Amino acid sequence: MKKTLTVRDIVIAGVLGAVAILLGVTRLGYIPVPTAAGNATIMHIPAIIGGIMQGPIVGLIVGAIFGISSFLNATVPLFKDPMVAILPRLFIGVVAWLVYVGIRRKSEYLAVGAAAFIGTLTNTVLVLTMAVVRNYMTAGVAWTVGLTNGIPEAIVGTIVTLAVVLAWKQLGKSQKSKISKDL
Amino acid sequence: MSNEFEISRNITIGQYVPTGSFIHRLDPRIKLLSFVVLVLAIALNTSYLGNAVGLVLSLFLFWASKIPISYGLSGVKPAIPFIIILALLQLLFQGQLFSGGTVYVDYGFILITSESIRLVIVSAVRFIEIIFLSSVLTLSTSTTEMTHSIQSLLSPLKKIHFPVHEISLITTISIRFVPTFAIEMEKMMKAQASRGADFGTGGWWRIIQRTKEMFPIIIPLFNIALSRAEDLILAMESRCYTPGGDRTSYSVYKAAGKDYLILVVGLLFAVLLLFYPFPF
Amino acid sequence: MPARPIIEIENLSHTYMKGTPMEHVALKGTNLYVEEGECIAIIGHTGSGKSTLIQHFNGLMRPESGKVIIDGEDLSQKKVNLKTLRQKVGLVFQNPEDQIFEKIIGDDIAYGPFKLGLPLKEVRERVKWAMEVVGLDFEEMKDRQTFALSGGQKRKVALAGILALKPKILVLDEPTAGLDPKSRKELLGKIKVLNKEEKLTVVFVSHNMEEVAMLADRVYVMADGTDVLSGTPKEIFTDKEKLQRHQIGTPETVKILYRLSDLGYKVKTDAFSIHEAAEEIMKVLAGTKEVSNYVK
Repeated sequence: MKKTLTVRDIVIAGVLGAVAILLGVTRLGYIPVPTAAGNATIMHIPAIIGGIMQGPIVGLIVGAIFGISSFLNATVPLFKDPMVAILPRLFIGVVAWLVYVGIRRKSEYLAVGAAAFIGTLTNTVLVLTMAVVRNYMTAGVAWTVGLTNGIPEAIVGTIVTLAVVLAWKQLGKSQKSKISKDL
Repeated sequence: MSNEFEISRNITIGQYVPTGSFIHRLDPRIKLLSFVVLVLAIALNTSYLGNAVGLVLSLFLFWASKIPISYGLSGVKPAIPFIIILALLQLLFQGQLFSGGTVYVDYGFILITSESIRLVIVSAVRFIEIIFLSSVLTLSTSTTEMTHSIQSLLSPLKKIHFPVHEISLITTISIRFVPTFAIEMEKMMKAQASRGADFGTGGWWRIIQRTKEMFPIIIPLFNIALSRAEDLILAMESRCYTPGGDRTSYSVYKAAGKDYLILVVGLLFAVLLLFYPFPF
Repeated sequence: MPARPIIEIENLSHTYMKGTPMEHVALKGTNLYVEEGECIAIIGHTGSGKSTLIQHFNGLMRPESGKVIIDGEDLSQKKVNLKTLRQKVGLVFQNPEDQIFEKIIGDDIAYGPFKLGLPLKEVRERVKWAMEVVGLDFEEMKDRQTFALSGGQKRKVALAGILALKPKILVLDEPTAGLDPKSRKELLGKIKVLNKEEKLTVVFVSHNMEEVAMLADRVYVMADGTDVLSGTPKEIFTDKEKLQRHQIGTPETVKILYRLSDLGYKVKTDAFSIHEAAEEIMKVLAGTKEVSNYVK
């Protein structure tokens, strides 16, 4: 692991932090799919992308920015608690990086997808764990929320992260346009 | 209806309300430090009396900042339904975990005890305390003051090679770019709507389709952000910015006697909330 | 009886953030009309309300007070079918290349038509037509990746994406801003073709007076949220006094002709198209032997 932050690390962490804040303060961060909460959040995705692109420190910093922003903007008691809003978010990017680095040799696609999937689950699991620890809900409720919210959210997170990272890294098999299909 | 796409104008980040109060004039570092300590102390206190002290303290600070009360209430109002739902859930389902104290109701799986009622009330009050405290901090401190304070407060960590300056630069970049990206996003949503995009038309259960409907906004958002980053990297490197270099600050804060006094008072309250055995 | 204008704006006003300390009046009592098949330019300084105005054309903004009637449909009514409206009025934003999000050119242009629910065959025909109008070879380009394109090509793709909706009215916000001279000229040519040959009604915002002089049938000048001046480019650019009052730039050709006329040469100062201006200058040169010798 490198010791100091490069200019690139600093700037990428900064802009991804801005995206995380923006997704949090607008409705852009919520994708309306069936979950217990009524939508899946994608606000944690900048942290995952930070981890994948620039390593664990950037992932951690973007996660922290996301956490602090979610704490300051919270309108529900659960997230007005720094133990729930900030602490778990620090791990999202770090875990995503670990997964990505572990799989990267096999396949870039798989690594990005898996990092997003597991990074999203990290968010869900840790937030719910803290919610239980801090007595906002019982373990039973947390399990229900975890399954009904966590799985769709992880799917959404994977699709979005893959699309963004592949578009940015300009990866992609050469394929044909939809309109080139035979009639 | 005409506000359908108005994102940038509705974002209130770094919503500084200058009233020139005593709180506004405090050294921002002292303010931030006291805030962090008090929030942690409040978050960990579970007694009625302790939270009453916290509530009085946070309302007092809000009053002292001379910020119109509507700003504080605007944080609480939208949360009322959530507070009620949380209270009901806790009351109905958390009883088993808090079976201590007097039992009031014991019906099937529902167990309401004096301890579970305490949990309900304390969570709600704690929420209100933190809303008011964070409103005081964010409404009385400009974002520049905030980032400078973070840098200054973390500076002792330089000794263990913690990248203090870099962290504060990251914070500055983040706050700086939120409005820029908001404007870009607004433009993007309008542009995509102009070519027929509409969001949320796929079946509700079709997760993948629903997600893909957001692509016309989300992908350009990240693309714009990352290409802005490339420009900024180039600009910084061509001006020979080196991370970790020694640098001086344009604005220097100097804490005066009253600032230290406030800090001591803040710390005393925090210690009180954390360690004093409140009788109830 | 003359046909009704395709765009009618009557006494339109809009205030952002009404009732807050950040209130900002963007439009106050603007009037404008566009006849079918016309090419209209809107000029004015930054903040004069041009962008707010054109966003009313396709219902991105709804009239706060005043009237917006597009092709006979009154947008101040509650029930407006925005989808058909936006299909009818193609609005191309500034730097439209930013909005490209699909990986493949063909897919990005086909996004709108697919959203309209058209069958594949029809979509393909529209994409082909749109690509050819903007000057992209359909067979060669449709399966290429979008990121490999140059800025000018990307803008063509974005324009094609709007054209594929087959709008009756094309609205462009600073279509050539940031383009190199060659791409600029090419794009202006395409807009002219769309207006003259494909019979689209065109409204465009511009800061470039040469462009306005070259393309527009009529010009509206916006200042402080209202239309202060309108007329043919000839009327606008030859009214020296009003131009100065509203601090509007003039095409270089007009400037040269005015300077010649100030120096006492007899030139027609309303000959502002490059061709006419060149002729006028040639006349002056022919009339003054010394000058032509001097130039040599």
